[in-house]
Amino acid sequence: MASQDPRDEDEVCPVCKSSRYLNPNMRFLINPECYHKMCESCVDRIFSSGPASCPVAGCRKTLRKNRFRQQTFEDIGVEREVDIRRRVMHILNRREEEFDSKRAYDDFLEQREEIIANLVYRTDVAKTEAQLQAYAQENIQSIKANQALEEQEATSFQKKILMEQEEARMRQQIAREEYENERREQQATREDFLTRLASGSAADVAAITHDGHKVHLKKSSARRSEEDRIRQKQAALRGTEGKRTGTPLAMGETPGATSGAGLIKGLRKIKTPEPEKPYDPFMGLVPGKRDYYTQLESYPYAFLDKLRSDTTVQAGGYDLQEYYSRTLLEAFAGLGCFVQEEVAQREASSALGISKPAATEGAAMAAVGRNTA
Amino acid sequence: MIEDDIYRTSSQFRLWSYTESSLNTLRTTTNNIASERVRAALRRARERHLSATPSATGTPQPGSDAEEKDIECLTPEEELVLVRYYCEKTVELGDTYRPPLPTNVRATAIQYLRRFYLTNSPMTYHPKSIMACALFVATKTDNYYMSLRSFAEGIPGDTTPDDVIAPEFLLMQGLRFTFDVRHPFRGLEGGVMELSAIAQGQGKPAPHLPQHTPETLKEGILNLAPPAVPASSITDRIGRAHGATRELLKSAAQMTDAYFLYTPSQIWLAAFLIADRPLAEFYLDTKLGGPIDPSAMETDTSNTQNTLSELRTKLLQVLADCAALLQSYTPLSSDPDQMKSLKRIAKKLYHCQNPEKVNLKRDTAAPRLTPAGDGGTVTSESETERLAKKRKLEMESKQRGGHDVFGPELVPDRTRH
Repeated sequence: MASQDPRDEDEVCPVCKSSRYLNPNMRFLINPECYHKMCESCVDRIFSSGPASCPVAGCRKTLRKNRFRQQTFEDIGVEREVDIRRRVMHILNRREEEFDSKRAYDDFLEQREEIIANLVYRTDVAKTEAQLQAYAQENIQSIKANQALEEQEATSFQKKILMEQEEARMRQQIAREEYENERREQQATREDFLTRLASGSAADVAAITHDGHKVHLKKSSARRSEEDRIRQKQAALRGTEGKRTGTPLAMGETPGATSGAGLIKGLRKIKTPEPEKPYDPFMGLVPGKRDYYTQLESYPYAFLDKLRSDTTVQAGGYDLQEYYSRTLLEAFAGLGCFVQEEVAQREASSALGISKPAATEGAAMAAVGRNTA
Repeated sequence: MIEDDIYRTSSQFRLWSYTESSLNTLRTTTNNIASERVRAALRRARERHLSATPSATGTPQPGSDAEEKDIECLTPEEELVLVRYYCEKTVELGDTYRPPLPTNVRATAIQYLRRFYLTNSPMTYHPKSIMACALFVATKTDNYYMSLRSFAEGIPGDTTPDDVIAPEFLLMQGLRFTFDVRHPFRGLEGGVMELSAIAQGQGKPAPHLPQHTPETLKEGILNLAPPAVPASSITDRIGRAHGATRELLKSAAQMTDAYFLYTPSQIWLAAFLIADRPLAEFYLDTKLGGPIDPSAMETDTSNTQNTLSELRTKLLQVLADCAALLQSYTPLSSDPDQMKSLKRIAKKLYHCQNPEKVNLKRDTAAPRLTPAGDGGTVTSESETERLAKKRKLEMESKQRGGHDVFGPELVPDRTRH
């Protein structure tokens, strides 16, 4: 009977059937895994010793205690949709400035809504989930960057609101003070007026009344102009502040480095700068590299054997390896330089420029080198 | 090939390598300019002589043209023979020292002489005076220190140290201040060293031919066709080829234009080819791969293989040319005909020697007054004029310097060179 009553549903735990009537402090928790409601004591009881399956009949989802939370919306469906939406928005968090056109951004928004709808209404869940996961993995970087941007925006928005509130407060205070001042002054003038009337003769009366009225007018107009000035100044200040807070946002809007994924179309191409290569002092030349020979550790050469044992030679630091490398290099240096061809080319190219500066000669040399190398 | 690029940076390749035709034109122009100068100088000398002797003033001078024809200048070929003779003399001069000067020093001196006489003519500067100086400069550049005095003492005849160094600056100018001469001698040592390593089965394959192993290399060298003179062992054979090559490099390579036309490694390999053809060819094949048969070429030859074989064919041609050049050399002193023609040339030179350049000592003592620039240089012709103009200006400013409020220059010589 009790279960029929819709109000009672809120009051009785579907797992342990204890009601709020017995336990006024009872709180209901849900798990976003299956959104089955149960009371706090049930959660403690069932899930304290690690993950367990949902106690609701027919639901075999494995739940963890730390995922349980309080329900925000009364309707469980809404709660679920909000959860899904949050999760999807978290992943598909592209920003408008990342798209080529407004149209592409709109398409993206539509696509996102479609995904959310698919998940909410359970059509093609597996496929959609797979898509979403693939996208998340591919675009980890841009997702993170955009999240950071969002956070930044949120904090700056909050700051702005706080500042506006503060300003409104200040304005109120100023207005209040102004009103106070005016009142006080009016009172002072009146007092002054009365004392002068009291002390003055009857003839002065007309002049004094006229005077007092004028002074009053003058003062109030002066005050008004003063207020105007202050207000203008404040407005100007606010304007510059607004600009100042505006710039860092614009600076921070560089989107993540990953270029678009297969899921989203129309993303603007982002050029990532080439990573700088490690510095190569020889510009691609391998210092010990040779093309004609491979040097040995030592050569069987009677003429050099004497040197190897001669301490007077060795003491100076004479290294036979140096001798080997030098003789072998000289044996082959220029073997492939065909003087007849290369010099003829050089002369032909230097004949073009009549004076022969070092630069053209070098260029000619380089040209010659390129032809044979 | 990286070794070739290294060689291309040398001054020998950049400044002292010529094609045969450019070498000939250079020599001809040098000869033409020098002969003109000789003629002009002799005419001036004669005029001076005529004006100095009053007896001659009365006679008209109809035959100045005819007289000019009397002066017969050397041809480029004669100049070349003369220079070669003095190159041989340099070798002999090196032998007079105790101990004899190293081959390297002598070879460097010879190359200095040859390079100097590319842009200067023996008619302008006599090789006899340049030769000693070249040898002395070579002892310095080749790290074989001798004091000037002991060097001058070693020269037969009464040569003073001043005589030796008088043309030194002139010579350096003629060498374009490049003293580096790449000789083939050290390269030969390297090649022989590697060949003996191969013969002992320690050879390593060339980087582009990794299919060789020490064993195959050794087998290859042992199975070579026998040399012309039978050798007892492979070491003996290598040693003999080494000696013969070295002799060739010391003589033929120095006395011909080989240094101008070929690179040192080509020169030594060409000489090696002459000394022991099978051995040299085997060595080249270990470096560049053997000949590729055309059937294999279409199926599986990598790019490097192709370039190597291209290089090989080209190189063999060049080596054959170089070897022919080296073999064409016969020493002057051994050939009576050549000696006879040499004597004729010497006699001719005596008549056409440029009288203004005879006293080099005076020229170097006061080099500012007479243009010290080499007379026959083709490229520096305008340069000498420019220098002369500059000197003239400087002289003028120097004379005016006496009136300069700040006085004359403190260090006059610093800016001169």
